Amino acid sequence: MSAIADTHHRRVMIGAGLCLALLVVMSLAIGVQELSLSGTEGTMPFADLMAISRLPRTLAAVLCGAGLAVAGQIMQTLTRNRFVEPSTAGTAQSAALGILIVTLFLPAAGLGLKALVASGCALAGTALFLATAHRLPPEQPHLVPLFGLVYGGVVGAAVTYVAWQTDLLQYLDIWTNGEFSGVLKGRYELLFVAVVIVAAAMLIADRLTIMALGEDQATSLGIDYRRMTQIGLVLVSVMSALSVVVVGLIPFVGLVVPNLVSRISGDNLRGTLPLVALGGAILVLASDIAGRVMRFPYEIPVGTVMGVIGPAVFLWFILRERRDA
Amino acid sequence: MTTRSFTRRALIAAGLTLAALPALALDVETYAGKVTVEGTPSKVAVFDIAALDTLLAIGVMPSGIPENLYLPELSDLKGKAEVVGDIFEPDLEALSALAPDLIIVGGRSSGKEKETVKVAPSLDMTMDGVNVVDQARERAFTYGAILGKQVEAEKAVADFDAALARAKAAVQGKGKGLILMTNGPKITAYGIDSRFGWVHKALDLPPAVEDVEAATHGEPVSFEFIAKANPDWLLVLDRAAAIGANDQNAKATLDNALVAETTAWKSGQVIYLPSADFYIAAGGLKATERVLATIEVGFSASQ
Repeated sequence: MSAIADTHHRRVMIGAGLCLALLVVMSLAIGVQELSLSGTEGTMPFADLMAISRLPRTLAAVLCGAGLAVAGQIMQTLTRNRFVEPSTAGTAQSAALGILIVTLFLPAAGLGLKALVASGCALAGTALFLATAHRLPPEQPHLVPLFGLVYGGVVGAAVTYVAWQTDLLQYLDIWTNGEFSGVLKGRYELLFVAVVIVAAAMLIADRLTIMALGEDQATSLGIDYRRMTQIGLVLVSVMSALSVVVVGLIPFVGLVVPNLVSRISGDNLRGTLPLVALGGAILVLASDIAGRVMRFPYEIPVGTVMGVIGPAVFLWFILRERRDA
Repeated sequence: MTTRSFTRRALIAAGLTLAALPALALDVETYAGKVTVEGTPSKVAVFDIAALDTLLAIGVMPSGIPENLYLPELSDLKGKAEVVGDIFEPDLEALSALAPDLIIVGGRSSGKEKETVKVAPSLDMTMDGVNVVDQARERAFTYGAILGKQVEAEKAVADFDAALARAKAAVQGKGKGLILMTNGPKITAYGIDSRFGWVHKALDLPPAVEDVEAATHGEPVSFEFIAKANPDWLLVLDRAAAIGANDQNAKATLDNALVAETTAWKSGQVIYLPSADFYIAAGGLKATERVLATIEVGFSASQ
């Protein structure tokens, strides 16, 4: 990286860090319960409220956002396609199928077991997607996201069918719609695995960058392509499943953030992955704050907010790209 | 005139009179407007669980029922009547094979009378949810009138009113309530104008939060919201009705430091409503009686 680009990148990083810090403070300050340092009659003491409700919710949004954005980046690298992310290529739908299976057969299962089964299903679903996506002609890059949408739709339809038959449709809808309202101390800690996922992604960042060149080039440059694909697959599946299990589906994070970061800072993942993680955290936390504030004291699920913001940002991005071209 | 021809004439005359008798026409007020029902139907197919529940309460045994009956109290109907579809969608082929005299749709099968009317006269008996209690009575009387069970309907409604009065008496002066629905780890709150608001209205139970809007599926709220509202009573419905493990799931969702702050939780004043009765069979006479009884028992436990 040249000195100028390096300065530019550092500035962006600092700006994003400050932005996230500001959002964290806002998130801690916003909630239905009034903040009172002394803990007056009828309100919870400040420290308790922070520890039980506000901090967990804020952390959950940050972890989820960072993890999902990184998962989206990995998926885009593995498919060599910028228009793919876990929620548009069957990963998240497969995870939901896992939850449905656990709910039906082991209704009393805890979050841990749910996460395990969901991860397993997500892994299987994503592996099938990747295996098929690699057979598509590389000269037609738009086939991959198209196939992803169809594939995700098919898996989603299967989930809907089973849920319909078992009268769990609405239950599953609300369960899988991304929302942080249920997050409390003791109910989100699984998301800390996102830290491991982001760290692991950073460790293999250089190899991922090379893999973006394609299998032949990557292999000739000494990359164990198959092994790296497997690792990437596990990272993406576990992250998506965790998100679905703990808070539900949050669409577009993995799509929008890597694309924006790529535009701003290029594609050297060693440098840009931290920014992708930061960007995801910012986007999800900001959406959650917006959902909390817009209809206070009621909530708009973050999945719904993202469903509005995501496509808007994405369309803007596509239109800009066309204009620049 | 021979005796024989006299007898024949008498028989014909009697037959004509008999044929004329049931040709009564009854105007029925349905969800989709006024429908005229001719005669007294004997073979009835039902797609709405609330309607099914009320029909049984007034002593009508339906000939056609939906596949999944949801309420354990209805499970012994299986095998005694033909399955003619599910609560969402009539199976027109099975329905034609059954050839009923009357078809009742409603709730989740609302609007399907447009299809079933090709098989037999059909009524959409959906309740609008504004006042479930009044409509439960009204439907019982209507079914009684159509099916010649007026006396039984009077009796069933009297039982229902008694259950209502007992629940109302138990609720008086015990504080404010909040209706919640749990969906896995998440919760939604229901206000006085929601589909469950009839509990507040019919029992004079003051709401802990005045202005929860009338969203059909409730308003997503946080646990901080519940702590702030601080209800004296929590009335809880677990949406995972199909799995049946009601209390455990809802209890696990609510069992946290913020809900623990509320008077309701501290005083053990959390009532878990029978979900299928409350949610799927809303407005069925017996199902609603069971909901009222659950509320009565819950409130009576406290002084």
